[in-house]
Amino acid sequence: MSEAQLFEELAHAVYTGDDSKAVELSKKALDAGIEPLKAINEGLMKGMSRVGDDFSQLKIYLPEVMLAAEAMKAALAVLEPEALKRGKATVKSKVVIATITGDIHDIGKNIVAMLMRANGFEVYDLGRDVPIDELIKKAEEVKADFICASTLLSTSMPYMEDLIALLKERGIREKYIVMVGGGPVTREWAAAIGADGYGDDGDEAVKVAKELLQRRGAQ
Amino acid sequence: MTSIWEVIDRTETGTYMEEADFDLKIVAKSCRELVKEYDIRYDPKQIITSDDSLADDVFEAGLRLALDSGIYCIDTKRVVKFDEYELKEGIISAPRRLLIGQNKDSRILYARGIEDERAPIICGGQAGAAIPEEWYLPMAISYMKEPLIDMINNGGLAVVEGRKVRTKTPLEIQATRRELSMLREAARRAGRPGISFIAAESSVSAMGDLAIASDRYMRRTDSHLVALLNELKTDFDRISKVVNFYEYGAHNVTLVDPIIGGYAGGPEGVAVCFVASFLLGRAMYGSDFHVCHPIHFRYMSTSAPECMWNLNIVGQAMARNAPFIIMGDVWTSAGAGSEMVFYETAANTITNVVTGSHPLGVSATNGKYPHATGLETRFMAEVAHAAVRQRLTRKSANAIVVELVKRYADRQGKPDVGKPFPELYDTAKVIPKPEWNATYLKMKKEIAEITGLRF
Repeated sequence: MSEAQLFEELAHAVYTGDDSKAVELSKKALDAGIEPLKAINEGLMKGMSRVGDDFSQLKIYLPEVMLAAEAMKAALAVLEPEALKRGKATVKSKVVIATITGDIHDIGKNIVAMLMRANGFEVYDLGRDVPIDELIKKAEEVKADFICASTLLSTSMPYMEDLIALLKERGIREKYIVMVGGGPVTREWAAAIGADGYGDDGDEAVKVAKELLQRRGAQ
Repeated sequence: MTSIWEVIDRTETGTYMEEADFDLKIVAKSCRELVKEYDIRYDPKQIITSDDSLADDVFEAGLRLALDSGIYCIDTKRVVKFDEYELKEGIISAPRRLLIGQNKDSRILYARGIEDERAPIICGGQAGAAIPEEWYLPMAISYMKEPLIDMINNGGLAVVEGRKVRTKTPLEIQATRRELSMLREAARRAGRPGISFIAAESSVSAMGDLAIASDRYMRRTDSHLVALLNELKTDFDRISKVVNFYEYGAHNVTLVDPIIGGYAGGPEGVAVCFVASFLLGRAMYGSDFHVCHPIHFRYMSTSAPECMWNLNIVGQAMARNAPFIIMGDVWTSAGAGSEMVFYETAANTITNVVTGSHPLGVSATNGKYPHATGLETRFMAEVAHAAVRQRLTRKSANAIVVELVKRYADRQGKPDVGKPFPELYDTAKVIPKPEWNATYLKMKKEIAEITGLRF
């Protein structure tokens, strides 16, 4: 099997959510002396990129995205330690995400988390009805780049304001890129509370996150 | 019917399961397999279908899903199951006709059939929206003074007495009581003191709901929504709402809003999930009627073609096999003040009334902005009545809806969100401002030409 063929099969295994095949092919890549970082970028990431594209066109649905993310995670467990050993591990941007206090609606947040994973972010998903201090605590613990909060309830939106206020109060606002989203959240409101970014949907959230990261890197 | 006591028992004794397993191994897997087995297919050219066997297949698949999955209780991580006898008992005992509202403002809310020739019940309001406190009263009056609007489902309050309402805080009680007080006052001022409400939208947890079970706020001829969480899930807050209204004697209504692109899959899987949700909602919540609200994973709007196909096929599946009273949401991407809102409203409303549901809306901008008024809901009512008066068949309705969709589908991602209520209405007199009225008249004429509807 040529290198290109192996990458294609690796991408396909991720796309179809076949975690055992993804692991098997990752091991095969290492055995063949292929650079692990190259296998990650040209195999796994390509597969996830296809997943993201097809999901945004409703060719596949959330369960397929979740299975693909699992397959990618399994393959990364093989390839990443090896890349680290060679000093060529990718530095991933870290995202802490949750549905904020008082709200238990989490599908929108799950979609954003999956799409961020699909685009190479390291995502810490804290779940639903998460108090703001827990979001901050986790962000501090993992040295996150992003704090992302979602809600479907207008009565949970004030907790997003509280999140930003608490970050300011603790003098750590500038450490994080704060993004907000969800059904009733608007672009105008996100700007008004001083969030750094907003996404109308999962695709836009990823796009904005990448832009914000680039902007921060350029500063 | 399975008693509410038995339901509560089962939340403690049902099979223990991790939530992710329920989502993926039960819901996602079953929906995918059932869609394949019954060969259920969505065709964007057939938004309103005329194939009775497809409707029956969707129903049968939904019944099987309901039996296989049950409902997952998030708080206890246990699955509440119902057997076939219990689900069928729920169907047989479900009300076909309900008296809602009081005195001259009362109406009979009934289970609509396919191509039903009876006038539909029109439920007006910007359901699901957070409406500013200072406009709440005139905005509610703008719906209630419309004679074609039979009942009200307006949004909630996110601010009360200048304070932002946070979920599960004392302000949730204040906001829910204030919402009901203002609705009552609006009904009096509009000369319709007995009009029926679907209300307590400010009650996100059970707190607000518990605080309004009194004739001063919510009457026993009124209703509140109890959601099934996505997909086929519930929690103790929802069950507390059910228990409260069960004892109080007002109507429990299941709000079912599966996501197209979510755990149930595409439009076909969501249709199967809808039927299962209605059957389980009746068994678990003892709901007297149900709200059908397909959510598009990107646009939200029920006017998206995939969502209208769902309103259509689910309405027909239920009407033929389990005639529940169903209200179909009319949620548009565009807002009041725009022209686009009329295309979406017309397509969505025609779909509903021809295929077994009463229209509920218009929740313009999907409730994201308070850009809504009584006027576009008057239009929804006029479309609904005209479609029924002219006895639109499913086939003729489909041709009209497909034509209307061409005029807005590519703009749903970036809709014209219109303007806030006070910019469109004279808030003192509660009448549309001339410019908004002119848009309404222009669009009504244009849509009459496109659709052949005689208003």
